[in-house]
Amino acid sequence: MTREEALIKLGESTVEATAGVLETFAPGAVEFGPVTVIETGTPPLATVDLPTVAASVAYVDGVKGGNVFVFTGKGAKLLAAAMMGSETPEEGDELSELELSAVGEAMNQMMAAAAAGTGSALGKEVEISTPTTAVVTTDEEAAELCGDAPNATSVTMTVLGEPARLIQLVPNAFVVRMTRALDDLAAQLRGTDQPTEGHVPEESMRHVPVRVWAELGRTRLPIGRAVGLAPGTVVELDRAPDDPVDLFVSGRRFARGSLVLVDGEWAIQVGEILPTGDPITTEVEGETV
Amino acid sequence: MARILVVDDAAFMRKMLGDALSKGGHSVCGEAANGEEAVVRFTELQPDVVTLDITMPEKDGLTALKEILSLDPSARIVMCSALGQESKVLQAIKTGAKDFVVKPFQPERILDAVGRALS
Repeated sequence: MTREEALIKLGESTVEATAGVLETFAPGAVEFGPVTVIETGTPPLATVDLPTVAASVAYVDGVKGGNVFVFTGKGAKLLAAAMMGSETPEEGDELSELELSAVGEAMNQMMAAAAAGTGSALGKEVEISTPTTAVVTTDEEAAELCGDAPNATSVTMTVLGEPARLIQLVPNAFVVRMTRALDDLAAQLRGTDQPTEGHVPEESMRHVPVRVWAELGRTRLPIGRAVGLAPGTVVELDRAPDDPVDLFVSGRRFARGSLVLVDGEWAIQVGEILPTGDPITTEVEGETV
Repeated sequence: MARILVVDDAAFMRKMLGDALSKGGHSVCGEAANGEEAVVRFTELQPDVVTLDITMPEKDGLTALKEILSLDPSARIVMCSALGQESKVLQAIKTGAKDFVVKPFQPERILDAVGRALS
């Protein structure tokens, strides 16, 4: 795992969490591009048009770094209006204190979600500071905002039709931890993907209980939508009513079958046993490591 | 209907919470922007319920929670946390907070939580 790969992985988890929270304020109006690593020595905000609204949140566990969300003034006004349940922003080009506060609050929520993702990837809780939101007008102010972070990534976003950018300032300690965490995960996955010797467990193992469950279907939601689900919401899954259901044994997809009723309770009639080494498990489907 | 003290460092959140609570028939008897102010306002106003943000400057929500509960062990406090602060929420509930909501939330959520805190 290289420094660049670790940085991109961190950037991706951050932008996904960020976009998920933004989606709750601006449903269907959030798009983002790929994560790029900013070359060491290049000011992270060098290519951002000034003036711009910048909301920044720092990490507070002793390491220098954090995230900066930059957005056009118009975009910030639209976001603030959307957060207040209105389509039309307050009059005038200047941002009111309430609008700045709304953008700061959005940043706070985005970064808390992102920090949770980063923390679980690093295996360590990541605490964040309260957000600072301001209009940046000069290159000096822009440079001051980012400090001299040794590693930085950038993601271009479109939010409510306006360009935005998420800059992640990553301390060296995070890169080291992330590289190690990703290497460990890759090793673990290689381990579980090895086909086991023979299909029948050793005699001494036969009494070990395993968890077995059936899966009707699955879907993907941005985390922000998932936590905002209200009772009564219908979440569509990816299977038709007649499709076979999957049977899992301790996280590994093991067989396919049909859902049947036996004495008034659901049961699975096994139709097909899948070959060993089937890589799809409940926890890691869709992850690329 | 209850008298509620709203504590959050973001003016925007104080307004959103205030609007939601007023629509639900409650009255906002005061606001505070950090934990320090929260403790002072609590003593002055003796509200029925406090909504308390966790991440705040000066004094954070967890510290304010402990101080308010030491002044009045029967204080009814609802924590407002952002996503990803589960361990702090858990700590708050263990300390004696009545309930919590996770931001971003629907107005009904805060009304439900205040309702449960009052019951």
